[in-house]
Amino acid sequence: MSFGRPGTFDNWKVSPPARGSFPLDHDGECKTFMISYLKCLKANAADNGVCRPESRKYLECRMDHGLMTRDDMANLGLGDVGTQHTASAPINPPDAATSTTRI
Amino acid sequence: MSFASSSRSAFRAIANACPSCSRSALPSMRSQAVPAARAGPSKSSRHFASTTPRKATAAAGPVESEMQRAARRSMELSRERMYAERAQRSRTIMMYSAGSLFLALGVTYAAVPAYRAFCSATGFSGVPITDPARFSPDRLYTNEEAQGRKRITVHFEATASDTLPWTFSPQQRSVRVLPGETALAFYTAKNLGKEDLIGIATYNMTPEKIAPYFAKVECFCFEEQKIRAGEEVDLPVFFFIDRDIMDEPQMDCIDDVVLSYTFFRARRNDKGHAVPDASDEVVLRSQGFENYEHAKPIAASA
Repeated sequence: MSFGRPGTFDNWKVSPPARGSFPLDHDGECKTFMISYLKCLKANAADNGVCRPESRKYLECRMDHGLMTRDDMANLGLGDVGTQHTASAPINPPDAATSTTRI
Repeated sequence: MSFASSSRSAFRAIANACPSCSRSALPSMRSQAVPAARAGPSKSSRHFASTTPRKATAAAGPVESEMQRAARRSMELSRERMYAERAQRSRTIMMYSAGSLFLALGVTYAAVPAYRAFCSATGFSGVPITDPARFSPDRLYTNEEAQGRKRITVHFEATASDTLPWTFSPQQRSVRVLPGETALAFYTAKNLGKEDLIGIATYNMTPEKIAPYFAKVECFCFEEQKIRAGEEVDLPVFFFIDRDIMDEPQMDCIDDVVLSYTFFRARRNDKGHAVPDASDEVVLRSQGFENYEHAKPIAASA
């Protein structure tokens, strides 16, 4: 629920979020992608579904600049999202049987 | 039973041979011999009689007859046996009670970590499940059911501790997500101080019942973040709300979630772990725990 509580059996230092902590982007290499994501959110009433291409682009930028361990986008929940906006809004999860991107 | 009858006859022999034995002593001995196989003599007969063999039997005649000696020995043996049996039973009872006492004590000691383990494993009462399987790739997508739901609005809040001269604020007010959909959110922090400072963030989630379902894939908490003097950085949070929330009827009405972060100056505790450099009350207050009763953090895990 929160970090810094009185000690529990599962020490938070031992099990942080799945991929740990983002390294800090000191040089602002991915700032443009962040701004485009934020603009998209503002334009779409903070609808995450519409702005997923932007978040994909931001994470790809982070990976390119060594600010995030490189991983398949499908493992990050963005496997069904292209880098361009699609006309149709509904997001269908990739079918487990037919997906080829996941292991 | 046979030895009881033999002791009975032995008593009769002694009684007849011993004039100085008072008749009052006899009933005690008899009642003692007869239920030798049972628990022991009744209380009423034991008021004035002692259980040890009376010296009078030996004093009666100058030489004790063989029969008298045998009788007395068998009597003593039966008494010894009775006492031994009673002692054995008492020892057993004492062992059982001592054992159950220590067992109860042990259970009281084990209960606290056992409860915490149970809470971490099952996510009971708001403790997040930290099972690595919950981040398996197929969990990071919505399903048909989740898409039918109204989007959950996640609001963001940020506070920086007074001892940390940083400005810390969210870049967006809120993000609307579906359960299972991964989302990105940004905070920004600027170090207004004259030197590089290390901060560590604690976070809190409201309402509490969302806590087991709110999973962070990657964020900026848990580890110290060093920001150079005068520098401004963007701090992203990559999270999702587990789609199992659809199975929970009490979660149907949750439409708003507040995720709040507080940055503290970091210091190292004696285990070398980075911890917030603020008093426990302040840290707990930042998480909304000020009204809860809890034990002090243990040095290793604070």
